[in-house]
Amino acid sequence: MSAAYSEGDAAGGEDVRHAGEVAPAGNALPMGDAPPMGDAVPVGSAVPMGDAVSLDDAVTRDDHLLARDSADRVPRDPGGQVDGRSTEDVECPACRSPVGVWDQFCEACGHELTPPVVSAGTPGAVTECPVCTADPDAPQGGITADGYCEVCGHKVPSDRDHVEVDLGLLAGVSDRGQRHSRNEDAMALATSRSPEGRPLALAVVCDGVSTSPRPDEASLAAARAAVRVLLTGARIGDEPEDTSLDAVRAAFATLEGVAGPDGAPACTYASAVVGPDCVTVCWLGDSRVYWLAAAPDASEPPVDSTDTTRPVTGSPAWPVSRCLTRDDSLAAELVDTGLMSEEEAMESPQAHVITQWLGADFPEPRPHVAKFQPPGPGAILVCTDGLWNYRPDPAELATLALPAGLTTPLDAVTALVKIANDAGGRDNITAVLVPYRPSTP
Amino acid sequence: MSQPGFTVDVDHNQFLPDGGRDVSAIATVTSEGAPTAVEPATGGGSAEIIIVDCSGSMDVPHSKIAQARAATVAAIDVVRDGVWFAVIAGTSFAKPVYPPNGTMALAGPQTRAEARQAVNGLRAGGGTAIGKWLQLARQTFGTSPATLRHAILLTDGRNQHETPEELSTAISACDGYFSCDCRGVGTDWEVSELRRISSTLLGSVDIIRDPAGLAADFEAMMRNAMSKQVADVSLRVWTPQQAEVRFVKQVAPTVEDLSARRATVSAQVGDYPTGSWGPAESRDYHVGIRVQPGFVGQEMLAARVSLVVSSAAGSQVLGQGLVRAVWTDDEALSTKINSRVAHYTGQAELAEAIQEGLEARKQGDEETATARLGRAVALAKESGNGDTAKLLAKVVDVIDEATGTVRLKKKVDDGDEMELDTRSTKTVRVRKEHA
Repeated sequence: MSAAYSEGDAAGGEDVRHAGEVAPAGNALPMGDAPPMGDAVPVGSAVPMGDAVSLDDAVTRDDHLLARDSADRVPRDPGGQVDGRSTEDVECPACRSPVGVWDQFCEACGHELTPPVVSAGTPGAVTECPVCTADPDAPQGGITADGYCEVCGHKVPSDRDHVEVDLGLLAGVSDRGQRHSRNEDAMALATSRSPEGRPLALAVVCDGVSTSPRPDEASLAAARAAVRVLLTGARIGDEPEDTSLDAVRAAFATLEGVAGPDGAPACTYASAVVGPDCVTVCWLGDSRVYWLAAAPDASEPPVDSTDTTRPVTGSPAWPVSRCLTRDDSLAAELVDTGLMSEEEAMESPQAHVITQWLGADFPEPRPHVAKFQPPGPGAILVCTDGLWNYRPDPAELATLALPAGLTTPLDAVTALVKIANDAGGRDNITAVLVPYRPSTP
Repeated sequence: MSQPGFTVDVDHNQFLPDGGRDVSAIATVTSEGAPTAVEPATGGGSAEIIIVDCSGSMDVPHSKIAQARAATVAAIDVVRDGVWFAVIAGTSFAKPVYPPNGTMALAGPQTRAEARQAVNGLRAGGGTAIGKWLQLARQTFGTSPATLRHAILLTDGRNQHETPEELSTAISACDGYFSCDCRGVGTDWEVSELRRISSTLLGSVDIIRDPAGLAADFEAMMRNAMSKQVADVSLRVWTPQQAEVRFVKQVAPTVEDLSARRATVSAQVGDYPTGSWGPAESRDYHVGIRVQPGFVGQEMLAARVSLVVSSAAGSQVLGQGLVRAVWTDDEALSTKINSRVAHYTGQAELAEAIQEGLEARKQGDEETATARLGRAVALAKESGNGDTAKLLAKVVDVIDEATGTVRLKKKVDDGDEMELDTRSTKTVRVRKEHA
């Protein structure tokens, strides 16, 4: 299982910055960090963090990379495509005025040039029922507005069943899996530049709670609402921790709005704001954010952190992949109390019982927010349990996604999703990969 | 007046195991609007007929006919101005009392006064042939343009001067034409006879043990009738081609099995009659569908439930609720029983158990009677149906409520037994709890 993101482990030398206790805003929604800061990692469940990275080395490395990147303003893909647009002057799709390739809005007509992309389906995308079409005796019939065949009643496939989004700086895939009739996961991706011109990648992933009504509506509404807040905050240069909390608040408010007589649609939540020098993570539920470390020489595969045959040389030490989030689940609580090992916990019936979710029936959610300063190159992976159930270990995920994910993140997440599907696809699978750091726009 | 809208709210466990076929759902249908007193009905207006048993037994005791007269007058006083009305006297024939020529009168101070006078002239004497009373009512309704038609029928005895077939024929002729609330005064009448009428004609049936209670009851029935705004509302159920509607039952406020009343609209669509609705009325329906077996990962629309209002202008489909079937391998999801489905299944079984138990008791089959009435006691307890539990306790000695162990009382008051019978279909309503 993943390396639990343990607070208070600064002594280990990990270059981890924590968000302080975020004081509640004085409204009904306490938005503090839970669990309390400074909890020691319980004995017996400590996960080896691998060889310590000296703080100085990390800073040095960062500086080095920073220097290199700021001088190098060529977009990542030498083919001249970034965000799907060429590096030459482009035209506003709405009014055709010339716009800068990195502009967020068209100055002539105000059209949003880099809107967020959400994994919604298009209603009415499928016009024929595949079940009836395959049956020579079946009569012709239409498809209802909610996507069912008028003749045989089967739900027709939705284009939300498999969605790929590639924004260059980040890419994601959301897939229905093999055993669910709907994709109740949703993802929202966006790119931005801060007012100082620093590139930012924004990702939100939500997993609808199956036992709630309309979970597919919940995840989509939450992701859509949240990414919009993240994008606005990024553009005006707000603190990413504040924006992240605002975003999850907005998602919660949206879900309060979609509650109805049939109950409260609910979902999990995980977001990442990835800038050139730090990552801000916010989550609630059991969707996860991982840090996948690349080897210092990015062409080599990353190192297995449990490999003890490697000598510990001076510097640089070998980078370590880890899970940056800690599930709000009974399994995680059992592991924390030392009552169970992680393997046992994941096998138990409590494995997927979440202790927090976003929904009108959970009126005081306590989302977690944390900052992480990556010690070197790698990628941020935001994913739902449909993926991590099959591949929970961060180091293994790093070997699967990198180094290809550093340059072609879409190929990397596609491969991850395929692995989960081939292993059974028992749940919806969603994965978003953000190579670190995003290339400067 | 505008057409009231309807909302359909479906509650069910949509998850089926691999290969599962049976979907069960509770559809709560609520009519919109505020419960106002004075909106006239849509279309051609409303019509009311009061049918009073004037057989000889109504004089024994004399209070029966006297109170029946008073009750009829009380009901007429509640009829709103502009509503058509008439009064019929029933014996082994049926005779128009007011208007005397067999037409209907428009309610107003003058016609009410005339009607009162005519009713006060009612005398008891003769036999009982209820079918004829229904036929005359149908004929009388036909003389007015009203589209919302309702009757109150009072009897005190068995349908002695008619064959069951004649009664059945009459009921069929009136089916869908007017609704009828039936009341039996005293204990010499046959619950099952009146229930056949009220069930088919989408009305209620009840016992009034003491004639003094007639006036209040008639008034209440008439007020309820005045609140109706739209007639001929049907529950429309669409199912996919190879699915089967196993049953459609109203389960609140009373149990009424509508399954056999299906009117086929097309191969996949059937309409079930629900009678008239007033504003802000709510009823629960239990729908059972059997679909083609599915496998994990599939999803199907098992049924679509809506309301259809027929009027001179044609039919309008209002409201819609979807009953989904989703096949899953998650046992935690597919084995969960929807509490309202379970509750109403229990309520329907309760009504059946009571009626079967009472019938068995009448036939002298004590073993069956004890078993069924015992089962009823257990179900009443389980579902919190305290009213029915009390009525059961007058017919059986309860030894253990939870297990339904009972002993038939040696002596049971006829009135108690009939009260249990008529009220057996009243259910306890369960609202949806938000998770």
